[in-house]
Amino acid sequence: MKVVRKVKVKNALGLHTRPATHIVQLLQRCKSDVRFIYKQDSINAKSILSILTLAAKKGTLLTVAVEGEDAEEVMRKLSLAFETGFGE
Amino acid sequence: MYLVEDLYKRHGERLGLEVVAGKKGMQRRIKTPEAHRPGLSLSGYLKGHAGKRILIFGRVEIEYLRDLDPETRISRLEAILGPSTQTPAVILARRYRPPKELIGLCEKYNIPLMRTNMTTMNLLNKLTLLLTEKFSPSMNCHGTLVEVFGVGVLIQGDSSVGKSEAALGLIERGHRLITDDIVKVRKREGGHLEGFGAELTRHHMEIRGIGIINVAHLYGAVCVRDHKSIDIVVKLEAWDDHNFYDRVGVDEKSCDILGVKLPYHLLPVKPGRDVVLLLETIALNHRLKRMGYNSAKEFNSKLLEMIASKQKKGMASSESSP
Repeated sequence: MKVVRKVKVKNALGLHTRPATHIVQLLQRCKSDVRFIYKQDSINAKSILSILTLAAKKGTLLTVAVEGEDAEEVMRKLSLAFETGFGE
Repeated sequence: MYLVEDLYKRHGERLGLEVVAGKKGMQRRIKTPEAHRPGLSLSGYLKGHAGKRILIFGRVEIEYLRDLDPETRISRLEAILGPSTQTPAVILARRYRPPKELIGLCEKYNIPLMRTNMTTMNLLNKLTLLLTEKFSPSMNCHGTLVEVFGVGVLIQGDSSVGKSEAALGLIERGHRLITDDIVKVRKREGGHLEGFGAELTRHHMEIRGIGIINVAHLYGAVCVRDHKSIDIVVKLEAWDDHNFYDRVGVDEKSCDILGVKLPYHLLPVKPGRDVVLLLETIALNHRLKRMGYNSAKEFNSKLLEMIASKQKKGMASSESSP
């Protein structure tokens, strides 16, 4: 199963180390393959350094592609995390 | 997207470029990796003229323009620079002074007009090389690129299989890190691949339980490299008892990246297997193979020879026995 959705970075400082850690932690146990697509780059969202290379600032629109058996659930959790600005 | 400005900023100094006119057009896009001498097009023959290429004016073009009367000069130049074309830039070789009609048209249509000291041939060669490099196919892949005994080894595998730890072990033994986690791969001329890291995370690693470290600061500048050709791919995998791993190494596996075939090794990991040592061995064995010696094949042919000689002996003895 593959789910693709656009999400917006909402927290003030953008995707810095703390939100990236939050994302990686969230995805640690999921079985699906999760990728963030921004401009020409498509990166593995389970790797903290990869997320950091995007250096996404507030307001950036990222395309999230989740592929795997638990795709729906992962996407729901991930969208929520982006929506709440990773609790910042 | 590659702009004339990018070309000027990055390579302007190397090519000795100097902007003469049309500065406003620095934002024009370069769409093809080609540079072109418009010789024939200047004569008015425009069939098949591709208007997306950077135009290079050398001695022939300049002399020819000088010989034309001003009106024809304008109309001919207009035909290759005008709004119907998408010429990104014009470069004059040998520091020729541009005819004023050329300056006028470049200003009018906002086409950067530059000149350089280089000879036309030299400029054409260097520019083509730079452009093909810039336009060469590239991709991002997940993995860690290290240089082991001069061999570029791309370590791949699922997250937390131990790629970064293996790389750290290699660095500690004096090998070099190119990039961890994200490897940008570019296909170079001659069909070889080059890997490099993202600007921001270059020379950084993330180790579980420690965090993000800067390898260049920790181990010194000798332990890092900016880019390296990718020679072999090693995939680390958690040991699976049901999988049959290569025991001999006569059949060489390969994998495909950007259409280039690379030797591929599947390396199972389990406690007690020294991955660092194994990676060093793979790299050394690869070097040996490139020098023309294949351990596994050599061993196999020796074995076959021995069997053949035994058979001969056997046949000889069976013939003589009755």
